[in-house]
Amino acid sequence: MSTASTDKTLAHLADFHDEAPLVKGNLSFHDITEIVSSHTEKKTPFAWYGAFSLALAGLMLLVGMIAYLFWNGTGVWGLNNPVGWGYAIVNFVFWVGIGHAGTLISAILFLFRQQWRTAINRSAEAMTIFAVICALVFPTIHVGRVWAIYWTLPLPNQMNMWPQFKSPLLWDVFAVSTYFTVSLVFWYIGLVPDLASMRDRAKGKLRKLVLGVASMGWTGANRHWRNYEKAYLLLAALATPLVLSVHSVVSFDFAVSIVPGWHTTIFPPYFVAGAIFSGFAMVVTLLVIARKIYGVENIITVDHLEKMNIIILLTGTMVGFAYITEFFIAWYSGVQYEQYAFVNRMFGPYAWAYWTMMSCNLFFPQFFWFKKLRRNITFMFIISIFVNIGMWFERFVITVTSLHRDYLPSSWDYYTPTVVDVLTFVGTFGLFFTLFLLFLRFMPMVAVAEVKGVMPEADPHFYDHEGDGHGAEHTVQPSTQQ
Amino acid sequence: MIELPVLDDSPELADQPRNRFWRSISHLEGSHEFKQMNAGEFLPGASDGPATEGNGGATRRQFIQLMGASMAMAGLTACRKPVETIVPYVRQPEDRVEGVPVQYATSMPFRGVLRPLLVESFDGRPTKVEGNPEHPDSHGATHLFEQASILSLYDPDRVGTVRNGDTVSDWGTFRTFASDLPTSSRVVVIAEPTSSMTMAVVRRQMEQRFNTVRWVDYHGVVGNNAAQGVRAAYGRSARVNHDLAAAKIILSLDADLFASTGPDPVAASAGFAAGRDPEAMDGMNRLYVVESGYSITGGMADHRLRLKSSEIASFAAALAAELGAWSGDAGVHGAHAWISALADDLRRAGSHALVVAGDHQPAGVHALAAAMNDRLGAVGTTVFYLDNEESAADAAAELEAAVADMAAGNVDVVLTLGTNPAYDHPGFSEAYAQVGHRIHLGMYLDETATQASWIIPQTHYLEAWGDGTSRSGIPSVIQPLIAPLYADAHSDIEMVGLFATGTDMPGYEMVRATWRGQLGGSFESAWRKVVHDGFGSGDGFGRARMSLSAAGVRAAMDGVDLSGGTDVEIVITPDAKVFDGRFANNAWLQELPDPTTKVVWDNVASMNPATAEKLGVGAKLNAGKYYADVVRLEAGGHAAELPVWIQPGMADGSIHVTLGYGRDITSERPERNTPFFDLDDYTDVYGKGAISTGVGVNTASLAVSGCIAPVGVSKASTGYLVASTQDHGAIDAPHVGEEVKSRGLFRMATVEEYRANPDFVKGGEPAPLKEDWEDYPTLWEANHPKDSVEITSSNYHANQWGMVIDLNTCTGCNACVVACQAENNIQVVGKQEVARGREMHWLRLDRYFVSGDGSSYDDPQMVIQPMPCQHCENAPCEQVCPVAATVHSPDGTNQMIYNRCIGTRYCANNCPYKVRRFNFFNWTKTLPDTLHMASNPNVTVRSRGVMEKCSFCIQRIRGANKVANVENRELQDGEVVTACQQVCPANAITFGDLSNPDSAVSRRRQSDRRYELLAELNVKPRVSYLGRVRNPNPNLA
Repeated sequence: MSTASTDKTLAHLADFHDEAPLVKGNLSFHDITEIVSSHTEKKTPFAWYGAFSLALAGLMLLVGMIAYLFWNGTGVWGLNNPVGWGYAIVNFVFWVGIGHAGTLISAILFLFRQQWRTAINRSAEAMTIFAVICALVFPTIHVGRVWAIYWTLPLPNQMNMWPQFKSPLLWDVFAVSTYFTVSLVFWYIGLVPDLASMRDRAKGKLRKLVLGVASMGWTGANRHWRNYEKAYLLLAALATPLVLSVHSVVSFDFAVSIVPGWHTTIFPPYFVAGAIFSGFAMVVTLLVIARKIYGVENIITVDHLEKMNIIILLTGTMVGFAYITEFFIAWYSGVQYEQYAFVNRMFGPYAWAYWTMMSCNLFFPQFFWFKKLRRNITFMFIISIFVNIGMWFERFVITVTSLHRDYLPSSWDYYTPTVVDVLTFVGTFGLFFTLFLLFLRFMPMVAVAEVKGVMPEADPHFYDHEGDGHGAEHTVQPSTQQ
Repeated sequence: MIELPVLDDSPELADQPRNRFWRSISHLEGSHEFKQMNAGEFLPGASDGPATEGNGGATRRQFIQLMGASMAMAGLTACRKPVETIVPYVRQPEDRVEGVPVQYATSMPFRGVLRPLLVESFDGRPTKVEGNPEHPDSHGATHLFEQASILSLYDPDRVGTVRNGDTVSDWGTFRTFASDLPTSSRVVVIAEPTSSMTMAVVRRQMEQRFNTVRWVDYHGVVGNNAAQGVRAAYGRSARVNHDLAAAKIILSLDADLFASTGPDPVAASAGFAAGRDPEAMDGMNRLYVVESGYSITGGMADHRLRLKSSEIASFAAALAAELGAWSGDAGVHGAHAWISALADDLRRAGSHALVVAGDHQPAGVHALAAAMNDRLGAVGTTVFYLDNEESAADAAAELEAAVADMAAGNVDVVLTLGTNPAYDHPGFSEAYAQVGHRIHLGMYLDETATQASWIIPQTHYLEAWGDGTSRSGIPSVIQPLIAPLYADAHSDIEMVGLFATGTDMPGYEMVRATWRGQLGGSFESAWRKVVHDGFGSGDGFGRARMSLSAAGVRAAMDGVDLSGGTDVEIVITPDAKVFDGRFANNAWLQELPDPTTKVVWDNVASMNPATAEKLGVGAKLNAGKYYADVVRLEAGGHAAELPVWIQPGMADGSIHVTLGYGRDITSERPERNTPFFDLDDYTDVYGKGAISTGVGVNTASLAVSGCIAPVGVSKASTGYLVASTQDHGAIDAPHVGEEVKSRGLFRMATVEEYRANPDFVKGGEPAPLKEDWEDYPTLWEANHPKDSVEITSSNYHANQWGMVIDLNTCTGCNACVVACQAENNIQVVGKQEVARGREMHWLRLDRYFVSGDGSSYDDPQMVIQPMPCQHCENAPCEQVCPVAATVHSPDGTNQMIYNRCIGTRYCANNCPYKVRRFNFFNWTKTLPDTLHMASNPNVTVRSRGVMEKCSFCIQRIRGANKVANVENRELQDGEVVTACQQVCPANAITFGDLSNPDSAVSRRRQSDRRYELLAELNVKPRVSYLGRVRNPNPNLA
């Protein structure tokens, strides 16, 4: 069948299709179901095993490093007296930032009716959840006495002790756990129709059972769709402020303190922009590979990637603007500690980290002004990697360069990570990719039902060539197509 | 266990009278079965254990015995009282409450005199040393060696048994050996100089018993140049004491007056501080320091002149000539620019002037100093010559002669009494080997001990009776606070007593016997008073009648080179932390930052940047750690390789090294080895044998031709890690100095500036902002926790604690740091961890260099700023803790609740003063058992993963609260004394109740020199500083 976009004779379709079609390759509804579901149904390819072993090895590394840490104490990291937070907090903020893209794509872009989101939201949301899991590892393990970490939760206890509600770390506990919960629920709600599709296609008994339970009795009934759409809308509305709040709260860890270089009111918007920036970069990194390997290039098209690159350009520039604003404010405030902190960032012992950050986050994304470059798969992959590196360094610069030289020069020192620091960080990639590979193997990596919903065929009038309200060529309703 | 006889009604029938009663035939016959049946108290089986006959099973009695014993022992295992016999109190003595510490007066022998002390004892376990405030020589303060000595008592590497060669022996065997020594034996005794009267008695007895006894006062490398100088100048020996309080103009010729190494640093610091009040009517004193290194005394100087130590003699001669106290040639500095202004100043002060020469300066310079003091009329005002019998013989020559005797085989017995000549006297070991009986009394299996034929464990001064005199000659008693931890341990007087009499001489009896002759009236009550007070009556030594001999001075100066010496000189001084090595095995002292270089766990060759550049050596700062070149220093035919340390402000061409490192103490504890995943072997500072072994380099041999010597320097290697607690000196980050100034951290002025503008510290506030910081909106001020009912209704709320630190009198001597460590159970982390920035000291002494406008790094001033927790009223640490583990007390201190802390380290990040310390590892887990005994039981020992910091000695505050509460009264000012305040020789720290307007701390806060650090952050610190006021000579620009 043909997409109707080129059919200029159909006047009433003009506004529906003034953009390029979101799905390419003349795919039918069935083709899309087939492409996406088949990956979870066919025999596991060897390449997956290879990749999975690698990721699992990384996860084991993480487990090993954490065990070593728990056995010996926080001293196995490179922290010292002025620098009480190092890799762990840097990695935490980094992963939370990554975890921003998914919910933003599925919630905010949903509310803004950005239909191109449908191709990428499933995998982006999965990425979000896995990234937040990786992020949550760090605040848990970074405390000196991990066995008492539950004291940060407001649990009734015989000591009559509550957490200290003025502490931003406590706000973090609430913000990140809420964000994680809502993101997970949101992701799962979106999965239900697709899980039902897979259930209906399932061959094995176990598969039928598991998918049957997971799809919660979805039949595609009108009533189901009505409830689903309502729930999805409500959750999107709920998740939207969370997207903004979680990184704002994370930024409070720094902004509420009195450390020069941390104590900055610009942090909440700047952190949110940075998080979206890094999140989209990570989505691009992952999807450029996944769409190729899984052959979903017609569903996740270069148009989608370009749109993400535009957001990367936008948020990257916002972040860069924030960097420059910080400097301006440091100068304008007349507070010498701030001034010193920022001069020290640029020219101090960590200047290399600062300039890495600046070039990766502010300079390289500017190439996306060129349409040719932002549609070039190889180029955007490279840029996305740079952005990932740059955003990690941003958190490193904020955390470490501010701490290592604060008020009293007598206490200034230098922070060097240990092997354990580095391997723990590497290990979280193992955790992330283990989960992501499991997702790719067992879950529909594209939101099939949603993609179908934004195809021209989903328009009730699509087949109404005569304009009489009746389709002539096809009778099958898209929404029940499986 | 007492074996009660079993009641037995079957005594041997044969022994019974003829008329026998018998119950059965078997009884009558005494058959085996019958005896068996009657063997027990009850019939067979009734009370037997499960054992069958003959296999040794427990009987009911044995069972009950064992159970009883185990119950009793279970109670004992938890904590062993270190006494030999435990006799429970039948009645509790009136003054004794279990768990409440008791203080006893005693004294620590050091450098030939006693330093009077009060030692705190918890249930028989000494834990903390303080000065004896009753004693005229103490001022109630101590220096750092006294503080740290408590840890040496519990040193896990003390030798515990008598050894004969390599085999373990016992005291009895040794006693037999000692009493069997033929009186014809030729004996050499190498002992520390001592003021002990008892020692003098037994020494005489010993000299009578043996035909030849050569007694050598062993000063080590430190020497006794000062005594020799006085003897040269006056023709007789006398002890010289200085009174800095009476001095208006003080000149130090290479003398580090306030350092721990000095002869009387507590008195010097206190005296200097007394004259340092800029508000005083008669003005401040003025301190000139001429020195080659950068000492803390140099840091306190109003004028400091960098001059090589070898050139100071010439400077002294020129000054003496100007003052009319020297008629000879003045050499290279004959026309130094300082001379006339300095001489004028000294002359103006007249009898209130004081010239002091450093211990390592040759006797000639000391003689010159004596001549100058004499000429200025200072004798009797600032300088006192005390009449004592102190030997002023050339100690080095005496030792040399004894060693030569030994080498020649003319010695049968060598007795080393707590001395360690094999370590610091090159050539001793070879001569030592020639002696048949090498008897060593010492605390460690050290360099001398391992070569000795007999090793006798020595008691710590807190374990044995002794006596002596304090600096001014007041007789004092050394009272033990604990029985020797090792049964074989004996004191030096007991050892000499054995040799003198051939029998065991208990130290207690010997000391009492000596004092019996001295105390008049009723001996017992007088003795009790002496022991209680820690000292006897009297004013000490009388003034010696001295008349200066110009010829003597000239003779002393004879061998002194005035030509300016050599291109590069080496100056070898005792270390401010481990002295001559005797404290090297003390972990507190090893980890104590050097007062000026802030280096820990090493000795270094310090030199100024110009010298380092000339020699082509240096240190590189890489990733926050110093990697230094190692230089080979050759002096007097010996060589040592030390890492370089660049210290600004030293004299060009002067290299300073300290003694006391490179020890080789054998430990009998097994090395700690753990599997790869367990870092206990890394975190155990004590795990690799004796802690001093392998730390630093022995530099004693470099001093064979004097403590100031020409030196050959060559670069040996590079990349040696030097751990320093303060990473950034003025050299590496030029802008640091400006930052310190513009941040207003250390505020200072000259006395003229101060008079003109008493509010100069306000001018030191950081550059004014657009709005005054006092006008800042204060977040949460309206509902501040300090105003909550829980706080204001607390009984503690009546006292609001605060502290004032006077930067004008603080010398940076480090005594407070060790006192804090001793009081608060602060753990030692080792060199690697310090290099990583993880030292645990609660009290930090920040050192900054200050150069005036346009001056280079060559000649900066040095200032020291003690940095305890500031106990901010708006504490930024409290606001960020997620679990409320750091909170404010009703009496205004910022408290750490260790068992609530989960270790996020957020508080440390948010602390602008960076005074919080995190337990990155479990430092107490691997601590040897004996060291746990040094802990203060009133302070929680922190575990891994928790934050800690200065608590204002909250345990002392609560202790005083308790006493006041029991006595139903208000706390009085001065009742609570923090450990740092108590120890401070300069009285720089005042602590007390701010809500009491009459308290000392409130009055000190009235000073116009008062400022708070980083006050513009609105954290409202409870610690205030008093800005420094210098008193430079206007005629010496």
